[in-house]
Amino acid sequence: MRIAVCHAQVPFNRGGAEVLAENLVAELRRRDHAAELVTIPFKWYPGTRVLTQAFLWRLVDLEEANGEPIDLVVATKFPSYAVRHSNKVVWLVHQFRQSYDLDRTELGQFGEEPAGRATRRGVHRLDRIALGEARRLFAISGNVAERLRLTLDLEAEVLPPPPQQLDYRCEDYGDFVLSVGRLDRAKRVDLLLEAAAAEPSLRVVVVGEGPDRRRLERLAGELRLDGRVTFAGRVEEKSLADYYARCLAVYYAPVDEDFGLVPYEAFLSEKPVVTTRDAGGALEAVTDGETGVVCEPAPAAVAQACLWLAGHREEARARGLSGKELAARLTWDTTIDRLLGP
Amino acid sequence: MRVAYFSPLPPERSGIADYSALLLPALRERLDVVTVQRGAKRAPRGTDVALYHVGNNPDAHGWIVDALRRRPGIVVLHEFVLHHLVAGLTLGRGDREGYLDAMQREAGVEGRLLAHGVVDGLLPPLWEARPHEFPLAAEILDLADGAIVHSRYVARLVRELGYRKPVWRIPFPAGADPSPTPERPGDGRPLIGCLGYLNRSKRVPQLVAAFARVRRRFPDATLLLAGAVACDLDLDEELERAALGRDEGGVVVLGYVDERRFESLLAGCDVCVSLRSPTMGETSASAIRALALGRPLVVSDVGWFAELPDGVAAKIPVDEREVEVLAGILERLASDDSLRERMSARAREHVRDEHDLERVADEYLAALEEAAGGEPVRDAVYGEVARAAYEVGLDAADPELSEIAERAGEVRLGG
Repeated sequence: MRIAVCHAQVPFNRGGAEVLAENLVAELRRRDHAAELVTIPFKWYPGTRVLTQAFLWRLVDLEEANGEPIDLVVATKFPSYAVRHSNKVVWLVHQFRQSYDLDRTELGQFGEEPAGRATRRGVHRLDRIALGEARRLFAISGNVAERLRLTLDLEAEVLPPPPQQLDYRCEDYGDFVLSVGRLDRAKRVDLLLEAAAAEPSLRVVVVGEGPDRRRLERLAGELRLDGRVTFAGRVEEKSLADYYARCLAVYYAPVDEDFGLVPYEAFLSEKPVVTTRDAGGALEAVTDGETGVVCEPAPAAVAQACLWLAGHREEARARGLSGKELAARLTWDTTIDRLLGP
Repeated sequence: MRVAYFSPLPPERSGIADYSALLLPALRERLDVVTVQRGAKRAPRGTDVALYHVGNNPDAHGWIVDALRRRPGIVVLHEFVLHHLVAGLTLGRGDREGYLDAMQREAGVEGRLLAHGVVDGLLPPLWEARPHEFPLAAEILDLADGAIVHSRYVARLVRELGYRKPVWRIPFPAGADPSPTPERPGDGRPLIGCLGYLNRSKRVPQLVAAFARVRRRFPDATLLLAGAVACDLDLDEELERAALGRDEGGVVVLGYVDERRFESLLAGCDVCVSLRSPTMGETSASAIRALALGRPLVVSDVGWFAELPDGVAAKIPVDEREVEVLAGILERLASDDSLRERMSARAREHVRDEHDLERVADEYLAALEEAAGGEPVRDAVYGEVARAAYEVGLDAADPELSEIAERAGEVRLGG
């Protein structure tokens, strides 16, 4: 099949959603499909730009390319699913959350003035139409599917994405807790830094880049964590696999996360995951006492969870191994069968 | 956001006043709502959007349309047929030309001729004799920035008029979970109830005829008719024609009953019947109450009633077989306890899903937010797209521009 995977790209930003789209293309090609990643830059501010930028996708003609028909489009995150195609499948990474659950929070975007409210409703309207016309609608997690049901009354099938291919292995339950992911406020890396401040024996490695990095580095300085926290930035796949292989545990506690590939990557490295009760989709993978520790979103609680794992390394290993069984079930074969199914 | 709210309100006695009494508290939890005093000429200052509830009664809604003329806003179209309202706003105020124009617009020269016939006293008033043939809804919709309707049926009729502004379908809300003490007049079974204002469009003659057939197989069956009787309906004559007597022969006739007793009687019925034809595009509050009480419901297969899911209500076609089909359905419901139980459960479920007050209030909030800020958003979005088109040399004659407009329409980019 000739398949276009549609993905909205925020230039110079890379996170789990980008990894998912690229992996999908690679896995489709591995199965002899002609797959292509189609991206359009996305900027969602100021004012109504979120709508005009979304509209760009509607103008894209993907029915054919160079005279050859495109059999299927798989759209991922907002607003790529506004694309028009007679055989459109949506594998929803997330909606434009500023219009939904993040509205009227510090992460929201729209003000109380009538134009702000109406722009937000414009996103709902577009979503309802664009998602409603998909031949099949999948969501990457139960959390994303539930949000969709609550906000737009649309039912999506849950289809978690398999983690990226890395040289996963476990070499040690070392002396540091690993955080992997894009550095923005919603990922809540500051909670881990504050936990490190509360527990002097805790060492932290932060992998990833993002707009929150400078603030986090400043916070680490203010908390006098010098020497106990390493900001590794964006690292190569080999280094990432090394970090996973050597860490004690992986910390992953974004606010109401859509899904989160990181817990599955941790599990494939046989590492337990420390998360919080309000982490959303991460809780579909991390079960307290089975595959990790689920604690309150407070520095002391996170510190205590990490400390407990450091003092119970056999238990940390057991939880990591339980997670590995869970992660092994997510395969690209079954994922692609469902995406391409009737 | 501040909303100017125009509607009849209690103690005024009308279905729309009751509707607003139910809706307003839920709306106030979400919005700053200013209810406008009856007779006020315009919306209060400082309000972002005005909401006008419009029904067919000129006494109740004339002042609301007057205010709508001064400041456009969102119209809640409680009925599609507004002939009586328009006649009241024109002929009722001595504006003969206004009525003639409205009829001409609705039905061309023929409409104008008919209007002349009415004005000159040669024809009976069309708002009484044939209102559904000349709804005159365009007269009101012309003034509206958007319309809220309760059914897909009315939404379609509004679009068929060529109305291009936003239309929101917001279901009619049901009240709080009802638990009245059931009242069963007489001791017959099954008790088949038809409650509310009784007139010919409620198909009372057809119901009486069908009930007479049911009585042959179910001699203990009782028909309850509760409500004020319209002057177009001679109930005694209908009962006599069907060989059924008032308060005998299994028919219990009650006049107007207050709301509390209405609920109790509804709760006591084994089957409720809410037929309608012709429909004025209305939604039946009493049918929704019957469903909320889990009563098996029989309706006509028209308008909003036809949109009820099959398992929730039995639908009777309005044709020459109407009486026969109705009698058959009533007999089946009388004899099949499990069918009644299934319909009862589905009815309650349907009301929870479709007519939940909180959901309705959320949908009002969405519609009002879209309406209040819609124009600046539309201008900004289309302005940006138009600028981009202009910058690359597209002009109005280019087919690409039509395609861009078509795509924008598909995703309702501008509302």
